[in-house]
Amino acid sequence: MLFEYSGYTGKYLRVDLTRGKIVEVPTEEWRARLYLGGNGFGTRIIWDEVLAGTDPLSPENRLIFATGPLTGTIWPSAGRLEVIGKSPLTGIYGDANSGGHFAPELKYAGYDMIIFQGRSGKPLYLWIEDDSAELRDASHLWGKTTWETEEIIHRDHGDDKIEIAGIGPAGEKSVRFASVITRGRAAARTGQGAIMGSKNLKCIAVRGTKDVKVADDEFYDYAYEIHQQILANDYTPNESRYGTPGLVTLMNEIGRFPTKNFQRGDFEFANDISAEVIERDFLVRRVGCFACPIGCGRAAEVREGPYKGIYTEGVEYETINALGARSWNRDMASILRGDFLCDSYGLDTISTGGAIAFAIECFEKGIITKKDTGGLELKWGDPEVVLQLIEKIARREGVGDVLAEGVRRAAQKFGNGADYYAIHVKGMETSAQDPRAQQSYILAHITSTRGADHLKGFPCIDESGYVDAAVERYGRQYLPEIVDGVSTKYKPMVVKDGEELGVIADSAIVCKFGTQFPPCYYWPELARGISLATGMELDVAELKKIGERIYNLQRCFNVREGISRKDDTQPKRILVEGGSGRAKGYSAGPLQDPMLDEYYELRRWDKKTGWPTRAIEELDLKDVADALEKIGRLPESQKKKF
Amino acid sequence: MSMAKRIVLVEDPPLKTCVGCRTCELACSFFHEKVFNPQKSRVQVIREELAISRPIFCVQCSDPPCAAACSQGAIVRNTKMGAVIIVEDLCTGCGACIEACPFRAIWLHPEKKIAIKCDLCGGLPVCIKYCPQRVLLYTEEGG
Repeated sequence: MLFEYSGYTGKYLRVDLTRGKIVEVPTEEWRARLYLGGNGFGTRIIWDEVLAGTDPLSPENRLIFATGPLTGTIWPSAGRLEVIGKSPLTGIYGDANSGGHFAPELKYAGYDMIIFQGRSGKPLYLWIEDDSAELRDASHLWGKTTWETEEIIHRDHGDDKIEIAGIGPAGEKSVRFASVITRGRAAARTGQGAIMGSKNLKCIAVRGTKDVKVADDEFYDYAYEIHQQILANDYTPNESRYGTPGLVTLMNEIGRFPTKNFQRGDFEFANDISAEVIERDFLVRRVGCFACPIGCGRAAEVREGPYKGIYTEGVEYETINALGARSWNRDMASILRGDFLCDSYGLDTISTGGAIAFAIECFEKGIITKKDTGGLELKWGDPEVVLQLIEKIARREGVGDVLAEGVRRAAQKFGNGADYYAIHVKGMETSAQDPRAQQSYILAHITSTRGADHLKGFPCIDESGYVDAAVERYGRQYLPEIVDGVSTKYKPMVVKDGEELGVIADSAIVCKFGTQFPPCYYWPELARGISLATGMELDVAELKKIGERIYNLQRCFNVREGISRKDDTQPKRILVEGGSGRAKGYSAGPLQDPMLDEYYELRRWDKKTGWPTRAIEELDLKDVADALEKIGRLPESQKKKF
Repeated sequence: MSMAKRIVLVEDPPLKTCVGCRTCELACSFFHEKVFNPQKSRVQVIREELAISRPIFCVQCSDPPCAAACSQGAIVRNTKMGAVIIVEDLCTGCGACIEACPFRAIWLHPEKKIAIKCDLCGGLPVCIKYCPQRVLLYTEEGG
């Protein structure tokens, strides 16, 4: 029987790397209806197949590359790839998302998703071409950078339209925050590249010439409307011209730009590493992802000096902060060089920068010395320190081998109070939002299902006051606090809404540039677009329910792994030290618990434990509630005992 | 003969450029075939270098080498618009026009195995309408 819904290819691949077997499976209708695609698909699969306590680097972990029903269509920015697996960095739910052109190509080749399991005895890559897939030897690719790998595959196959997603040396060595890279774009967070390396899988190469069909031709005109809506937004021209680096000076002004390992939220040399400097000294050309009306990438090249010749497809705000201000580095050329190295080796720039700043501070405080660093003096503001540590982490050399474990494990290893300087939530290094200066992030970082990260709740409206979007989305009654960065009022509602909108964006799959920043379109447009594409006739309430289902299931996965309220916390420094700029005098300590209480209430989770309750049955998750009850992690089941 | 209309790429790098988003491919394939499939698009975005992408499309030559190369007489000029058109029923998919095109702007349809190329969408090219970077323009000049 043919698959009922349009937008999907109607089949996916299961690849057992231990046995070298590939099976083609029809995409299940229940899976599409309940979990939509991308992030939702992956969440359900790891809940079902990755048992509690599984070592993320063992053959038993799964690694999922998923597309969504909008992938490959003309919907704005519908080219993103979702990668899901239990995280080697955090030991809980993990996912990563990247732009580029890989995901559409996978659909044109006839597949909605690929699920890997097992471990190959030798390096392999998966070659996919129009309804067929085979595992090939990758011995000649092992050790190569991501750029070299793409080049070799293009050359060997004689086709430069092949899209490739793969790992560099860091993933091969299972650096716990290794990324998956496609065309220099990174599915970076939570160490999905390390899972890939642990399975001896170098990359996936795909070429497709088949159709992606939609249910209703009106989809085409409606997508055009949304493209125009994005192009007409006041913030789009800036986003197109400067990309995310446009945020550097803005975030610095409000004290939200993490500096010196979160000692401060502003960097006195921020103007040296701004978007204007990139445009003036390094910009080659703007670059955009598949079907994107914004085009936020900016190819950059260093034309002189010690880092000459370096080239990236676009350094992001996060990377500028992570490899710049975070370690007091004001040398833009070195940041570009560092970005290039991270992309080439396959490292998450955010966690890499977090680990480097952590190491420098540990050195400053005397917790580690030259004996630990192989003679390297770790100083604030030294570009060479940043670059050398990137090399050491990627190769797991000396102190790099410790830092490659992530700051939480490295702090345990260093001891002597190093954990105070490990800025992470649940083991993932915090991204570049000083939560003290945008207090919705006090909550968003700690309720993110993958650890400290901006892209789950992604509460943008209180960043610099998107009043119009706030009124349109939530109503006038919440002004002015809802757009006030140093107010916690109404933020739990905003974060919860963002988390659900975010998982739908990651399942459809579309870029959050548009849904969240700039806030151009929202639930009604997504519901209509997905309905026209799939023929599912989803209204906003139903789509929100899918979002809630997926997010709750991610939380349940984490609860099954032992996560509870005690883990939902900002790191000590953020709890006790005050911030900068508008965050002066604000520490997260007094603010965190009231927000968390309100958030749990909105989610109908137990306030004491932070565990979901039987209420998840209303989200068609009865089997999940039963499973948690069995292991004593459902709040009501505990009550019954007493 | 009337002046031919044609599509031109107008860039002003580094800021105003084709960014390689391929929205034109998607609009084109949907307009012509009601599906999203870059292989069925009459415009193709190629990557010349890592960061440099460029759309390839027919410039509607005034003396088209593709038409001269076609043994079936399947390539003709639409007198109303001036577009150089492939008459599908006459095309055998031999590939002579593909070889003859100096702009590499003709290719084979992945299923029908006949040659396809830009036909100016009957007068209002959808790639121009959709291009978010506004680097595709319509001109009316001698080819």
